[in-house]
Amino acid sequence: MTRFVKNPFGIRFKLVLMSSFLLVIPVLGYQYILEMEEYLRRGQEQIVLGTARALATALNERPELFDEGSYGPARESEDLYVYPVFNPLSLDDSTLVDWQDYQRYELSYGKDDAIGTELNPQSPFARYYHYDESLNFKLLAGEFNRSLYAYLKVVDDHVVYRSPDSLSIHRSDFLQISLMTREREFKRYVISPRGPEFLYAYEVGEDLSNIASLSHEERISGQWYEVPGGYEVELRLPLSMLGDKLGFAIYDVDDEEKRNVKSVVATSDVNAPDLLGSMRRPTPEIDRIVEGMGHNNSRIQVIDRAGRILLSVGDIQTATGLALTEQPEEQSSNKYWRYIEDKFLLPLYYQILTKPSNDFIDDLYAGGTAEGAHIDAALAGESMTQFRTIDNTQTRILEAAHPILDDGAILGAVVVDQNMNGIRTFRNQALETLFHTMLGVMLLISIGLFAFASRISSRIRNLRNQAENIIDDSGRLKSSIVASRSSDELGDLSRSFSDIVERLTQYTNYLENMSSRLSHELRTPVTVVRSSLENLGMVSQGKEAEVYIERAEEGIRRLNLILTNMSEATRLEQMLQTSEKENIDLAQVIGGCVEGYKLAYPESEIVTDITGPVRVAGVPEYIAQLMDKLIANAVEFSFDNKPITVSCHAAKDQAVVQVKNYGPYLPAEMKGRLFDSMISVRPQEKQKQPHLGIGLHIARLVTEFHQGTIRAENLTDEEGVAVTLTIPLLQP
Amino acid sequence: MARRIAIVEDEAAIRENYADVLRKQGYEVQTFSNRKEAMASFDLRLPNLAIIDIGLENEIDGGFTLCQALRSMSDTLPIIFLTARDNDFDTVSGLRMGADDYLTKDISLPHLSARIAALFRRQDVLDQPTSPENLLQRDKLTLDIGRLTVQWDGIPVPLTVTEFWMVHALVKFPGHVKSRQVLMQESKIFVDGSTITSHVKRIRKKFIQVDETFDCIETVYGMGYRWNTQPSASASEA
Repeated sequence: MTRFVKNPFGIRFKLVLMSSFLLVIPVLGYQYILEMEEYLRRGQEQIVLGTARALATALNERPELFDEGSYGPARESEDLYVYPVFNPLSLDDSTLVDWQDYQRYELSYGKDDAIGTELNPQSPFARYYHYDESLNFKLLAGEFNRSLYAYLKVVDDHVVYRSPDSLSIHRSDFLQISLMTREREFKRYVISPRGPEFLYAYEVGEDLSNIASLSHEERISGQWYEVPGGYEVELRLPLSMLGDKLGFAIYDVDDEEKRNVKSVVATSDVNAPDLLGSMRRPTPEIDRIVEGMGHNNSRIQVIDRAGRILLSVGDIQTATGLALTEQPEEQSSNKYWRYIEDKFLLPLYYQILTKPSNDFIDDLYAGGTAEGAHIDAALAGESMTQFRTIDNTQTRILEAAHPILDDGAILGAVVVDQNMNGIRTFRNQALETLFHTMLGVMLLISIGLFAFASRISSRIRNLRNQAENIIDDSGRLKSSIVASRSSDELGDLSRSFSDIVERLTQYTNYLENMSSRLSHELRTPVTVVRSSLENLGMVSQGKEAEVYIERAEEGIRRLNLILTNMSEATRLEQMLQTSEKENIDLAQVIGGCVEGYKLAYPESEIVTDITGPVRVAGVPEYIAQLMDKLIANAVEFSFDNKPITVSCHAAKDQAVVQVKNYGPYLPAEMKGRLFDSMISVRPQEKQKQPHLGIGLHIARLVTEFHQGTIRAENLTDEEGVAVTLTIPLLQP
Repeated sequence: MARRIAIVEDEAAIRENYADVLRKQGYEVQTFSNRKEAMASFDLRLPNLAIIDIGLENEIDGGFTLCQALRSMSDTLPIIFLTARDNDFDTVSGLRMGADDYLTKDISLPHLSARIAALFRRQDVLDQPTSPENLLQRDKLTLDIGRLTVQWDGIPVPLTVTEFWMVHALVKFPGHVKSRQVLMQESKIFVDGSTITSHVKRIRKKFIQVDETFDCIETVYGMGYRWNTQPSASASEA
């Protein structure tokens, strides 16, 4: 029988493999969410562009807002220009580096700006006569974060500080700040340090020299530090202090003994409210308009034709476009789940997802001008959006620019920027949820499929085992299949198997009872023939006839013997059903039998090897009957002058009886079926007596009745056959 | 006056063959092919002996029914079952229903007539006193060869003719092993070994019913049986 190599991939494995097609679902989900993101991105693009367009429309046809004249670095004026600054400024770093490129907008004030004050009484024209090159300064004012920042680079050959014990502020180099508040109040402040130090500002009254009118103004802060050839002052005051006028003045004292103010250089006449220069914030009008747009999670910039940023509202780091409400932390949910999520799932997800960071620096806008393809396009008259990825942080920025037109001429552009982190975060959240769900569903489906497959394969295996057990080694039906009651295909298969086995059993029974039934049916006609012959014999017919009658009677006798043998097995089976076993010594029974055989077969040598007692539960008559058959067989197949060996002993929990004879080997094809009904291996010429192959069948019936086994094997040392019978020992 | 024998047998050839033989031996023979006919005749007049087949035409167990009816009519009427059924179950049922013998159709005609003669003789001598020369005494066992009856310790043991002859064969030479073949010849039946085994079993049972300690018939495995005069002789002698 060919045994196929067992397939290592069972149904279970295959089904689980099939279930891996489920992986398509998360991929589809992923694709879908990417599509969603793309859609949202386009939406955001439109919104951003829409914002830009709306703003640009509001600013259209208003050339005055972009009037070059109201806003220029080189203009001689008493007004102060306040530039928008886009990076934080530090006051305490003793340097002006952080002003960066803005320094190019600084304005110089020198002899032309000298004024006369109460401290250096002279006519406004005196400056032409009292020209002192030694004093001049450069000024730059900027606006950042609702505060006014300013620095003054003062060139002064003699820096004279307030003497440590001096209370008056006007007998040294000092800085005066004059301004008009929103309430149109004229205020003057003085900063008069005792050395390089943090600013300590005083508000002064009518008279600078009046110490009693001094009061500290803490809103003004900054630093005074020396540089070669002079000093620098960096200061800050909140815009809320300021109205629309502002002026700075540097008072210079050169003689440390006399401490008289020698000259004053100012941006405007800082002591006359009417003459005080205006503070020119570049785009208050635009500012208002843009403010009117409200904060919409974007950074909005208005640039002029040259690309200079006139105004910047909002902060690109927080301009996420989508306003995401922070989800409250679900602390109440299972902490194990959170642990798993944080430790295993999320790190896994972010192998493929990118997590954008708001912690980026937009280098491009660090300076005072903006550039980029979208701006170029807008200044050329086309609105445009573009995406820009900031390296190293994976943040994408959406930029939209729309031109501002005036009568066909381009005045500038509105640039609206948003970063894409909102959508990205939104996408990531969606994907997390998706992956969670998918993992759960797939786990569930996989477990379900596995269980299902296990059930199926176990049922199939069960069926297979049953099917294998139906027929024993010799091809005899020994059990039937329990028909499954389930209504599916496997149940069907089981039932049809059961049906087949049922019918096969019936057929086998029919075949096995065939001989018995045949003998029964034949007996009547045989009786007719025999009784007729006997009658014939009684009516004397003369010598000649008697010979024939005798031959016929001989034939009938043999026929009768055959019929008796044929039904022997059936009779035995019937008797076995009603027999009761008793405790016997098998060795004694076998010994007795062998004694009998020595008498019955005087021409054969029978050697015994019996060690007793061997106690088994059995019926001695049947065992004797079994031995009859075995010995008869052995004698018949034995070579001449070869002994027949009968052994009996107990081995472990089995009684072992063996009958060995030296004779021809068993034909190979008969090995398994030797003990079946109607099987005979006798060669035709040996058939002196009728043989139906019932003998060994009877031996098997008796063996089975004793719950034993019987088998016939060829001997290996010499040509011969050993029949071995084992019967379980009686437990003491 | 000739004895009348009734043969109830549905197979005409067998019936007539048997009838011919018996007629030649001087018996008056009535033949019936089914139970109804037989009962109609028996109601009028009982035969001296009845030979019955078990299966009668369409009645599978017609013979058994007939046997019961006959036995209810007469306690002493000898009844012989002559049938093709050779299994233990039918044999036991037949004998239990009061048949005097149960023969299979293998039996030869001379053997059959010998049995019939024996049964008649047993009936004849029932009233006559026992003649001492016909008695065979072995310990508690008494065999009356003339009457074909057996007594154990003075109590009669109801053996059939076949069983009687078997016991007789064993007892003739106590201690000698009689093979199944010999027993078969002695009891004038022709069956296989296992039938002899069941006959011996039945004989033992009948004796045990009389005496619970009976164990005179010893089985010599592989050879046959022997009669032990000394009870409980060790089996290891075999």
